[in-house]
Formats: sequence, structure tokens, C-alpha cells
Amino acid sequence: MCKSVYIHIPFCKNICSYCDFCKFYYKKEWINKYLDSLKDEVENNYKKEVLNTIYIGGGTPSSLDIDELKKLFDITNNLLLNDKYEFTIEFNIEDIEEEKLLLCKKNRVNRISIGVESFNKNNLEFLGRKYVDVKEKINIVKKYFDNINIDLIYALKDQTLKDLDEDLDKFIELDIPHISCYSLIIEEHTKLHNMKINPIDEDLDYEMYKLINKKLKGYKHYEISNYAKEGYESKANLTYWNNEEYYGFGVGASGYINDIRYSNKKNIIDYMNKIYNKDIEYVSLEDKVRYEFILGFRKIDGIDIDLFNKKYKKDILTLFNVKELLDKKILDIKNNHLFIKEEYLYMSNEILVNFI
Amino acid sequence: MNQDKIRNFAIIAHIDHGKSTLADRILELTGAVSKRELKSQMLDSMELEQERGITIKMNAVKLNYKGYVFNLIDTPGHVDFSYEVSRSLAACEGAILLVDATQGIEAQTLANFYLALENDLEVIPVINKIDLPNSDVDKVSEELINTFGFTKDEIILTSAKTGVGVDTLLDRIIEKIPSPKGNKNEKLRALIFDSAFDPYRGVVVQLKVVDGKIKTGDRIRFMSNNATYDVVELGYSNPKINKVNEIEAGDVGYLCASIKNISDIKIGDTITLEKEPASEILKGYVPMKSMVFSGIYPLETSEYNDLRDALEKLKINDASLEFIPETSKALGFGFRCGFLGLLHMDIIKERIEREFGIDIILTAPSVVYKVTLTNNEELEIDNPSNMPDKVKIKEIYEPYIKTSIFVPTEYVGPIMELCESKRGNFINMDYINKTRVNIHYELPLSEIMYDFFDKLKSATKGYASFDYDLIGYKPSDLVKMEILLNGEVVDALSMIVHKDFAYDIGKGLVNKLREIIPRQLFEVPIQASIGSKIIARENIKSLRKNVLAKCYGGDISRKKKLLEKQKEGKKKMKNIGSVEIPPDAFLEILSVGK
Repeated sequence: MCKSVYIHIPFCKNICSYCDFCKFYYKKEWINKYLDSLKDEVENNYKKEVLNTIYIGGGTPSSLDIDELKKLFDITNNLLLNDKYEFTIEFNIEDIEEEKLLLCKKNRVNRISIGVESFNKNNLEFLGRKYVDVKEKINIVKKYFDNINIDLIYALKDQTLKDLDEDLDKFIELDIPHISCYSLIIEEHTKLHNMKINPIDEDLDYEMYKLINKKLKGYKHYEISNYAKEGYESKANLTYWNNEEYYGFGVGASGYINDIRYSNKKNIIDYMNKIYNKDIEYVSLEDKVRYEFILGFRKIDGIDIDLFNKKYKKDILTLFNVKELLDKKILDIKNNHLFIKEEYLYMSNEILVNFI
Repeated sequence: MNQDKIRNFAIIAHIDHGKSTLADRILELTGAVSKRELKSQMLDSMELEQERGITIKMNAVKLNYKGYVFNLIDTPGHVDFSYEVSRSLAACEGAILLVDATQGIEAQTLANFYLALENDLEVIPVINKIDLPNSDVDKVSEELINTFGFTKDEIILTSAKTGVGVDTLLDRIIEKIPSPKGNKNEKLRALIFDSAFDPYRGVVVQLKVVDGKIKTGDRIRFMSNNATYDVVELGYSNPKINKVNEIEAGDVGYLCASIKNISDIKIGDTITLEKEPASEILKGYVPMKSMVFSGIYPLETSEYNDLRDALEKLKINDASLEFIPETSKALGFGFRCGFLGLLHMDIIKERIEREFGIDIILTAPSVVYKVTLTNNEELEIDNPSNMPDKVKIKEIYEPYIKTSIFVPTEYVGPIMELCESKRGNFINMDYINKTRVNIHYELPLSEIMYDFFDKLKSATKGYASFDYDLIGYKPSDLVKMEILLNGEVVDALSMIVHKDFAYDIGKGLVNKLREIIPRQLFEVPIQASIGSKIIARENIKSLRKNVLAKCYGGDISRKKKLLEKQKEGKKKMKNIGSVEIPPDAFLEILSVGK
């Protein structure tokens, strides 16, 4: 039974140079219409399941004003939550203000995810983001929430290990229970791609990753890009890595329901006119097993062997070339979990292609 | 048919000097094809022949002009096929030597001219493209006079494009080219100058009857191998296919005899009658010999049988292709293939991949080395990995060529530099005129295997033209160099190199491999060795990053698509031990250090 919902708010006041999400400049006159369509999409599909997680991402959900946020929460207030739920909303650091935070809290939000990305002025400029007093803003959030995530982006043009080291010090100093560290990907249809920016050298990139792992020792590295204090692992993300089903609502959102993985089309005009077109992938049993590997191996602990064997009535160790990869000491087993050894995690695609 | 009224001739020219256009114009002027029907470059059109119910290209066409019969015989244009050119010319009594008025004499002009002389042909010099604004008739005339000893009056000026001068040329053909000499009352001797495979008729042989006559129903014999067949069909192309009952001395046509295997037909062979055989074969027949050998392996080992079928089918149409099964430790089961030259090799590779859809690995082409062992046993080695151990070898001989390189004088320096770097020995230099020379070098054949022609072109801004003759074997101080990946010898990467160049080539080679082999999960050492001595080493660093750091909002399908793409990429790689190698690596080794 589906226990998770993702809601996409595609509007932004400012477009970041690296972003290839489904996003549009904030247009006041679009918001109401969009939220009306969203409400319909949720009502037409949601089957009153008691949910474990809700995640509102974007775009920039925090770009909505108070009234618009209220309208958004009118939709989420119809979703049922269990007593251990996690309800996250993404905030742009500039948008942080007491009134919005309070409104979120009143509407059951219990986790805030903030795109900080970097403290370094040059980096922020490169990423197309504004410079703000992060510490002050974070302190406001902390008044209302203790479950917070901040994002960091590294592997930026001209960035040195020392730059990253400084950024990490500042991130750690904020004393936040969850940090996501993303290596910059220069995606097509982004400003960076159009500017023909090249990725940094892969050796340096790897050094940076190692530095992050070293500096964030106080956190549990639980997924390739995610670090959390005990008990603060993102439940929404784990839904994905555990190959569980989830609803995706909103323009461009992806979901996984009844053995179908879908992505809503990115046409916002259609969406506002309640034309809900999707791209669809039917997931066969065989595909499901494949996904189990390619998603499960993102987790540092890997795949729970008993759970897997019970779910698929198969011995995981006999599938694909698991045995060979174990022999080559690329995979390992600990606490009844099958996982990619740490030294190969940053090259995991090389290993995951074995399961395609 | 009156033998005196027959004129058998070919057009010979350097590439792009206008041969096909001239042939078209002759077809038009002789009324073989009306202007309306004339598709540009008629003789080259396969499509037309399909419409006429014969699916192969006929390269001799019969034309009528002022009461004479012209047999225009086409010749292949590339140096790889010079033996076949020579056999086509052997069917002629004359040749039109066509030279571009904007280019002058080039390497193949010269090579073709000498082939014509060897075959005792009457040569009519023609300067073509005189309509072009940059044509220089005086200069090109001077070249023809100085180089070949023509007189000014002999040279005909044409524009095949506009038709100017072509009628003069046709009259000159009647006037100057002798009629064929054979005697129709003698015993049959017919020269095979080309053959091809037609799926409905089997092998179609192109022949010239030198003496005697051949009739439908005759039992014939091929004199080189004594194979006998019954003639099922005779005919000629004009360019429509016309069947006839007999062909007499002096004339040209085609023959079908339900021959299933083109390998039975040898270009240059003599056909006679089984009942009354001629005693002497026509001179000039040489069995074709492969010059270049390379291993062809299927990328997917499961496609070995498909590859064999493909090679067999190609051989039906191309008797010069040779192949025998071989095994490589690195590449598995495949074939050692012999080609006439590099162009021939490229054509075969293309056809296997395109027509048969099999991905193949081609190993670096090798020449045939002759090896004398210490016990005086003699071996021919066409695969570097089969070169015997150094201590057993007394001497290694390699094939040499003599070049004809035509260039403007200002490029003599760069050409000499290039040839010297390829172990060349300067022979001499002929001045074609004040501004152009023909440079002769002696070079090991192996040195022109890969990028010689490209380097020649780039060193001379494209002005050089190149041809060569094989001049035999010479002893060389050669050694076998082996490449080790991850400590294991990869036999398919072995090569024979000159001792003095071994160190540089080894270094260049491991460097090149480091560049083209992608980083792997493990560090991979690449070594070059001679005997047991490592002469160069590089490491392919282990891969550092191949990960999708972020999965946006649970868009998992996209991640899978990316992995599928990576998997496709990996499928194109060859696994050797635990190392993934791009198939091109085996050819790339030739580009190194030479």
C-alpha cells in the first residue's frame, strides 16, 4: 500500500544556473489555477491511504505567499498521516520568515529542507543564487523545527579542496541533523550547459567526495549523497531507495503506483487546464527486481537480504552476477545486508549496469 | 563481324580526371544511349543494369560508330587493384590516357601509362576539362611531351562535360588504335579480364576472344586449373544486355556457364575448348596474392558462424578475399583474412558491418614476413603473434615498395622528411616539368599501412599523389613487440617493429592505449615488451566517478535510462581478462610512433 506523496510546486522567483527541474518563473496569476488543478489531481487519485511521508518540492514551494500556501495546505490537509509521519517542505533560504514557518508548522509540516548550497560568494554567483546571512535564517527555522536538511553543492568550476573544506566547516557549524551533498551535474537545458561549462576533473571530484565523508564523520553516511544524525534519515528519500510506491502530484512530478512508474508531462498550460498527461513505464516483476538493486545499492547499508528473498521468493545471491561481484570484492555482506563496498560507491553506475 | 572494324580500348586516368564523364559522352555520341536516357555516369550505374535483368556491373560496353565496333572496357581505379587493371588492359589494343587540364600528370596517370605500355597498347593522350577557367593546356601538354614523349599533334583537347573534342577523339580511335590481331581459325584462346557473381546466372565472366571462336553449348576449359564447364549463355552489353550465339577472335563479351564458385575463375586466365585445346596459355597470368593480412573477429563470440557465412558470401563476389580460421587468446575464434591492399580491407570491413550487421574487431593489418630459422627452415608469417622466438631466427625479411610521389617542388622537403621517418631510402627524383617532381623512395610496405597517405596529403596541402610498386623482400632488423594488459599478453596487439624504433613505438603505443582505453574499476598497467624485457609502461588510473549524485523528486525511470545507455556503451567494448577495450584499439596501434 502506498505510503508516500510527493507534490511539485514548479514556481521560482529566480532560476538557478544548474537547475533542470520542471520550473517556471513565479507568475501570480498562475498560482491559483495551478493549485486548483493540483487539488483535482490529488482528489482523483489519492485513495485515503494513511501516509508515512509527504514531501513538497520544487521549483520553490516557499515562493508562494501566505494565502497561496494556505491554499496548498488545504490540499494536503485532506491527506491522512500516521503518527510517525515525516512531512517535508523545501524552502529557499531567502524566503525564510516566521509567518510562513509558523503556517507550515500549523499545517503538520515537521521537516524543512533548505537549499543553502554554499557560503562562498563566487560559488553562489556561479550557481545563480543570492548571497544571504545563512546563520541568521537557519536560527529562525530552528525556533520552530528541529528536523532540518540543508543542501550543499560541490564540484563547482574553479572550486578547490580548500574552498570545499571551508564550506563544510560552516555547514557543520550550523549543527543541522541532515545534510545532502550533491556533486554538480551539468545537465542539458541548463544555463551552465548553454555556457559550455565543463565538469571538474574526476580525480578532484573524488577527492572532494572523500573530504566530505571525512569531515561529516559526526553524521551517519546512509546514502550516496546523504548524511544524517541518528534518527534523522529522510523517510521520503528512503521510500525511493527501498523501491516502494509513492504518489507524484503536480506538473512534471514522478510517481510509482500499481506497478507503473509515471512522470507527469512538463507542460504547465495543459496542467493548469487539467490535462494530466503522463509518460508511463510498466514495471514487470523482472524490472522490479532490477530496480531493487539499482535503488537499494544507493544506500550505504545496501539491500536487506531476508526482506528481498521474502519479497521475491528468490535467493538474491543467485541473481545476475552477484556471486562474481562478491568474489571480486566489489560487493560485500554485513548484518545480512548486501552492499557495494565503500571504495566503489562513487563509481556505482559501473556496478549497477550489471543489473540492467 | 569483320575483325578489322573492331577497336578495343580503355580509358585510363588518375582519379577524378573525368573518366566516367568521358565514357558517358562517348555513349551518347555513339548513340548507345540517347541524351534523354543518359543518366550521368552511365557505366557506373548499377540500377540500370538491374532494370535490364542482370544484377551485376558489366564493365565492357559495345558501341557502333561510323561502321566500326568499339568495345569500351572499364578499369578499376585504385592501386590495390592494379593487377586487375593490367588484365583489363590486356584485352585492349589501345588506351585513352586522360589528364585533367587543371591538374596535370599524377601518380596514377604514370602508373596506368606504364601498364598500357607493358600491354603494348597504342596510347592516345587527351587533355580533359579544357572548359574550366583554371585549365592550363600548355603546361599539361608540356608534361605529356616531356614525360611520355608524345608530340604536340598527338594530344587531343576535350571537355567531356560539354562534349568539345570528343568526336575528334572517336575518329582518332579508328585511325590510330589497331584492330585485334587474333586468328579466328586457330584454336580457342580467350582472356578472362573480369568476373562477378549474379544470383540467377552464377558467375558471369568477362572475356576477350583472342584466337578462335566460342559458341553457346561449347565445353570449355580454364587452363590454369583445368576446370571444365558448358557455355550456357554468351552476350554483350551496349549497355543493354544482348545475348549472342558466338563470339569470334578480336571481340569482347560475357559468358555464363553455371559456375557456382567465383574462386574457380581467375582473372587473367585463358579459356580454351575441351575438345581442341590450345597448347599455350595467354601470357601475363599471375595468381592473385594477398598483400595485407588482418584478423577479423566477431565482437560477440556467438556471431562466429554468422561471420563465417558473411565472409563466404563476400567471397562469392570477390575472389581476391582470402580467409582461414584462426584463434586468438584475447579475441577468441575468428579469421585471418588476406586482402589486396588497405582499401580492399576497408571495403570488406564496411560490407561485413553494413550488409551483414555484424560488429567486428579488426586487428592491425600486417604484411607477410619471410623468416629464415637457424635450422635454415623458411617460414612466411602473416600474423605478428606467430613470429617465432628470437633465438630461433636467423633472419627476417620484409616486403619493400618503390614509390612514385608526384608533388610540386616546394614540397620535396616535407616528403623526404616523411619518407625518412618511415625508414625510407631515397632512390631518385624525376622532374615532370620545372615545378613538379616524381619522387622515388624505397620503403618497407609495412610503413605505408596506416596513415602514410594521410600524412602525405597533409604535408603537401593535398597536392601529392601517390602510387607504388612492390620490389621484393629485403632483410630487416625486426623484432616482435608484445603488449601486456594487467600483466597478460594480448596476442592480438602484437606487432613487428624495427629494432631501432622499438623503444619509441612501445612508448607511443602504451600511451595511446592509455588514452583510448577508458578508466576501469581497477588500475590497469599497460606494458610493451620485447622478449621478456619491458620497454615501456603506463597505468590506466582507476575510475573515480560514475554516479548519479541526485535522483530528482523520485524520477527513477530517468536513472534507469541513463544506466541503460551506459550498458549499451559497454556492449560495444571487448572484454579482455577483466579489462574493457574499445574495438578500435586493435587498429589504433598502427597510428603510433611511425
